Amino acid sequence: MEKLLTLWYGSGLYNLSLGQGVMVLVGLGLLYLAIAKKFEPLLLVPIGFGGILANIPEAGLALSAAEQAAHLARPALLEQMAAALQLGLDPGASVEAWRHTLSETLHGDLSPALLRSANDIAMDAGFAHGMLYQFYSVAIASGIAPLVIFMGVGAMTDFGPLLANPRTLFLGAAAQFGIFATLLGAVGMSAMGWMDFSLNQAAAIGIIGGADGPTSIYVSSILAPELLGAIAVASYSYMALVPLIQPPIMKALTSKREREIVMTQLRPVSKREKIVFPLSLLILVVLFLPDAAPLLGMFCFGNLMRECGVVERLSDTAQNALINIVTIFLGLSVGSKLMADRFLAVETLGILALGMVAFAIGTACGILMAKLMNTVSRMPINPLIGSAGVSAVPMAARVSNKVGLESNPHNFLLMHAMGPNVAGVIGSAVAAGVMIKYLG
Amino acid sequence: MQDMQLLEEGLSLMALGMGFVFVFLTLLVIVTTLMSKIIGRFFPEPVAPPVPARGRGAAPQDDDVMVAISAAVHHYRRRHRR
Repeated sequence: MEKLLTLWYGSGLYNLSLGQGVMVLVGLGLLYLAIAKKFEPLLLVPIGFGGILANIPEAGLALSAAEQAAHLARPALLEQMAAALQLGLDPGASVEAWRHTLSETLHGDLSPALLRSANDIAMDAGFAHGMLYQFYSVAIASGIAPLVIFMGVGAMTDFGPLLANPRTLFLGAAAQFGIFATLLGAVGMSAMGWMDFSLNQAAAIGIIGGADGPTSIYVSSILAPELLGAIAVASYSYMALVPLIQPPIMKALTSKREREIVMTQLRPVSKREKIVFPLSLLILVVLFLPDAAPLLGMFCFGNLMRECGVVERLSDTAQNALINIVTIFLGLSVGSKLMADRFLAVETLGILALGMVAFAIGTACGILMAKLMNTVSRMPINPLIGSAGVSAVPMAARVSNKVGLESNPHNFLLMHAMGPNVAGVIGSAVAAGVMIKYLG
Repeated sequence: MQDMQLLEEGLSLMALGMGFVFVFLTLLVIVTTLMSKIIGRFFPEPVAPPVPARGRGAAPQDDDVMVAISAAVHHYRRRHRR
């Protein structure tokens, strides 16, 4: 009988908390969206599955050795760890209270040296880092995975349409207003006392408006790692929702006549221009914004590999095999941040709401900028391509094309919209660099 | 009081960030346009245009030759049959 009870106490069902149950359902929901609705399946499948794995009770896949020890270890070890963390445990309190204090401390801001010593003690006692925790520290905490993905995106990007009409860069700049408006919104919400976001957290939330998954993961891993799960889920879900969010805004802000504007054919772009462009972008980054160098540097490198034409094999690896491998680990690592006790908070709802606002404002600003450019420039500019200024390559450009075709079935805007679209990638990376420079 | 400070910092970050994004991308527009002009001026694509021209030029020439040959063959055969 006693053995049966031990088995029961060790089972997942006995230990499942309400939050974990909810998070498993959230994970299943993400999998449903990815598989049945085809919402960004390449990322939502690993993220959803990682979220389920992270919430398996007692397995502690997403916990560090010290956090696992805080949950499971004997009181003697807890005291040892508290001493290492320079933390006084109340001798009168119960062991449960000790465990709670310890795991809260381990989650808070802790100097790396203290954290390492706590981990060492736990590992000496036979505890090990969870699998997802390892993935997270290798892929995201080090900053590597988003950067490698950015290199792959660079290798997949054709700057031809942008080079043929460089002024579309302004559209990519205007759409970044969503980022900063959302930052202000998040700060405003804290000022009103609805939520409690610091400036760093507000900046990390704002970057969702850049509609660029790797950039938002990179920025939040630097500025607000505690919000990374919610931010990554928000930005990837909204990228999948671009075809639903953007068209109403685009139609509301443009008249039928503006939507029918036919743009002039783009000039052909020579190979030399395409090779020199990533290099001149890199030089500008070097000169003016070294903080954006990791992101834009990898982006330019990937693009140079594509355009120079002498390293086909490397370019092929960067845009296929490598980006796929990294996506798997990135998704699982983001999933590891969907742990119930961190994810289920009012703040998460705030992040989801603000992310949506960020997208909407970015889209609207891009369109308004395109309307402005249409009135001042000699060349006609269809305002619909402005919405592609929020990155979300190539989904946003396809949406511009689709809405344009609805008004005029012979007007193909796809190539024209690719210009602002890749400009949006550069713009959000620059915005990320400014945030990191200012707050990091 | 602290809230106001937070809001102020948010505003200044917004102005700074948006301003910088615009300045940087404006610079990029200028540099890109210059770069395209320079490349178009000093390194025009030399190989691309002549290739299709020669290809198109070659085809009618071949036709002329074919017509001449077939006419000659025809003429020869007709004369020898007689």
